[in-house]
Amino acid sequence: MADKTNTIFRALDRKASAITEFTMRQYRTKISTWVVLITGLVVISLLMLFYVDAMQRDFEAIDNDGDSVDSDGDLYPDGQERALGTSPFNELDHPGNFVPPIPPDDPEKWINEDDFDWDESPTGTRSVSVGYDDDGDCRAEDRTQSQKDTNDNGIECDIELSLSLTGNFRYDADNYVDEDPDDEAYAKEALHRASILGIGKLGFVFIISIFIPLFMATGLIRDEMTSGTMHYILTKPIARTEVFFYRIIGYLGIIWPYLIILTLISAIVTGFAGPGDSLFRFSEFGIWLAILFAAMMATLVYGMLFCFLGVMWRYGIILAIPFAAWELGMALLSMGVPESPILRFSVIGWALIIVDSASMIVWPDMALLINSGFSVEGGDSFGFEREELIGSEPLQYFFATPGLGDMSPFLSMIIATVVLLIQATALLFLGGAIFKGKEIE
Amino acid sequence: MMPDFHQEGKAETTEWQPEQQAPVILLENVSKTYGKIHALSGITLALSGGVTGILGLNGAGKSTLFKILMGKLKPSSGQVRLFGTNPWKNPAPYSRVGFVPEGEKMYDWMTAHDFISTFARLNGLTRDEAKLEADRVLDFVGLLDVAHKQIGRFSKGMRQRTKIAHALVNNPDLIILDEPLQGCDPLARTTIMNVIRELGRMGRTVIVSSHILTEIERITEQIVILHHGRLLALGNLHAIREKMDNIPHRIDIGCESPKGLAKSVIDIDSVHGIIFQHPEKLTVQTRNLGDFHSNLPKTIIDSGQKVNSIDNPDDDLASILGYLTGGGGY
Repeated sequence: MADKTNTIFRALDRKASAITEFTMRQYRTKISTWVVLITGLVVISLLMLFYVDAMQRDFEAIDNDGDSVDSDGDLYPDGQERALGTSPFNELDHPGNFVPPIPPDDPEKWINEDDFDWDESPTGTRSVSVGYDDDGDCRAEDRTQSQKDTNDNGIECDIELSLSLTGNFRYDADNYVDEDPDDEAYAKEALHRASILGIGKLGFVFIISIFIPLFMATGLIRDEMTSGTMHYILTKPIARTEVFFYRIIGYLGIIWPYLIILTLISAIVTGFAGPGDSLFRFSEFGIWLAILFAAMMATLVYGMLFCFLGVMWRYGIILAIPFAAWELGMALLSMGVPESPILRFSVIGWALIIVDSASMIVWPDMALLINSGFSVEGGDSFGFEREELIGSEPLQYFFATPGLGDMSPFLSMIIATVVLLIQATALLFLGGAIFKGKEIE
Repeated sequence: MMPDFHQEGKAETTEWQPEQQAPVILLENVSKTYGKIHALSGITLALSGGVTGILGLNGAGKSTLFKILMGKLKPSSGQVRLFGTNPWKNPAPYSRVGFVPEGEKMYDWMTAHDFISTFARLNGLTRDEAKLEADRVLDFVGLLDVAHKQIGRFSKGMRQRTKIAHALVNNPDLIILDEPLQGCDPLARTTIMNVIRELGRMGRTVIVSSHILTEIERITEQIVILHHGRLLALGNLHAIREKMDNIPHRIDIGCESPKGLAKSVIDIDSVHGIIFQHPEKLTVQTRNLGDFHSNLPKTIIDSGQKVNSIDNPDDDLASILGYLTGGGGY
């Protein structure tokens, strides 16, 4: 028995390697392959250029709480006066009267002076207390205990983060805590993450993973059938399902290394250009790995599907185009309403779950980062009206929690992978069966 | 559950064995229809051994027949057996079959050696075995010296020989060639015909199709004639021809003065009719072709007329078909 298995395996292996190798060499000789692959590279490079441009841009430091202003004209910024216990509205009451006198601060010092620390996010119904009053204006000695704990959670000068039962994020800060974040640091961090998610989800998992198979896989069998060269393969003792399968493997042999190279380039660019003190941000390799994996799964399923459509009908590409439009709709939907059940009837919906799950693992503070960006919005104690912080909006758009409900991100990643593999296997059966029943002129 | 790679659970090539008693090819009442068009109707045929020519005009159903034999098309009705196995259901018999398709298209970017060794691996050969096999078959068709040139740079005849070499991989017992001589120059024709005759001498079953009678004549005497999808005749070509000697034949003689020549030609006994269709052509009707041809040269010399051409339009497939279908010469 072992001997027989060995024989069958060896025979399969010879056929598999022959067709796979042949398919890859055939791709290499086609101009269309190079045009498609280079176009993909150009698309990703352009997206990367937008990203690098955003990272190089200077974001204006905004005095979000208005305390760099000297309201009473005594040369001391309001923030300094408040911290030292003098009145910001009384010209005669200022730290210059102290013994020894304290010189006035540079107003710049009171901009971006109370940044937030995005290190933890609430999970489940547990609320967490974060935030540190960097500039000490909440902890000022003349303030009463109830002034220091305006969110009433028993902890002075903190921010309480919680999730409601419906999953809504609640950001409840004591007054004067993290009220003047570093806009540039926030914008860069948020735009950096938003770019990786946006480029990864729309660029890699959608555009690259659907259009390259559209051009490369539709003709995988069909072109051979049309030109009559299929006879050279099919007059050998080989089952058609095998041919279908090995042709797909040959296609993956081109497209997967291509995706690996493309992802590696992108990961290196975002690693170097990304914000942070270190020269290179290694922490995002996890998310790039997930994007690569999702794109590989998507190209597998799309490749099988388009190849099958090509076998089924001479003009299979016509069927592939409305499908691609459907997938685009689903990709956009999954960013807004990731839990929508209609996403289960798509490929991209499942592939994006892989990316979304990974982003929860790689960036556990994501919810805090997004919500604190929005929470600074609105009137402060002086009635200033402000916009949300730059970057919070795109980040909120591209980030989505995996839509499989309340489960660990690892589990939803595994479920999504299994579903994609089932889709691929079903298409292999279907494609093989259709091909087997096809008459070849 | 794994995909049904083996189709109907049968046969890796190593396990499949041909039925010993079955003919190499067996067709029983096979028909193939496309809508209202009958590409093949009611073909019954069994072949084993030797070289067989399939004759038929373009569109007679030769390629359709081959594609049904090779399991590329499914017969609308009837039974097809290749070594006793249904080729539509099971690809295993192809390990014993070589097929030369009619299409022009090849993988022009490959070298001949590459092309053959790559696909030889589908017969279960290893990479090294496949290379040796490619050398062997290319040597057989006389292409070993250009084995490492790209097929795209080959002439028509070399391409055909490459296709034949591809079909000879793994020493098949049955070789099917669909119009192997089409478009080849005379030298290539001769080479390919020699290869086909050689295969026949080696005891293989060879089936070769053509729409040109003289080509087939030079390869084999055993022929099958297809016409409008029907099997019209099967047997020895000479036997079929002899029957035709008793029907009127036409000979076209191209000359400057048809009427002048006609005066001399009418004296030949076997001539029973003369037609002037063309200012420079004389059409003679005869019932005894042999007698007419033996007397013609002397008659022409005696008449002193200048003759440009002698054509025998009846000596082609169309007239045989015409005769066999009972419609006369045309």
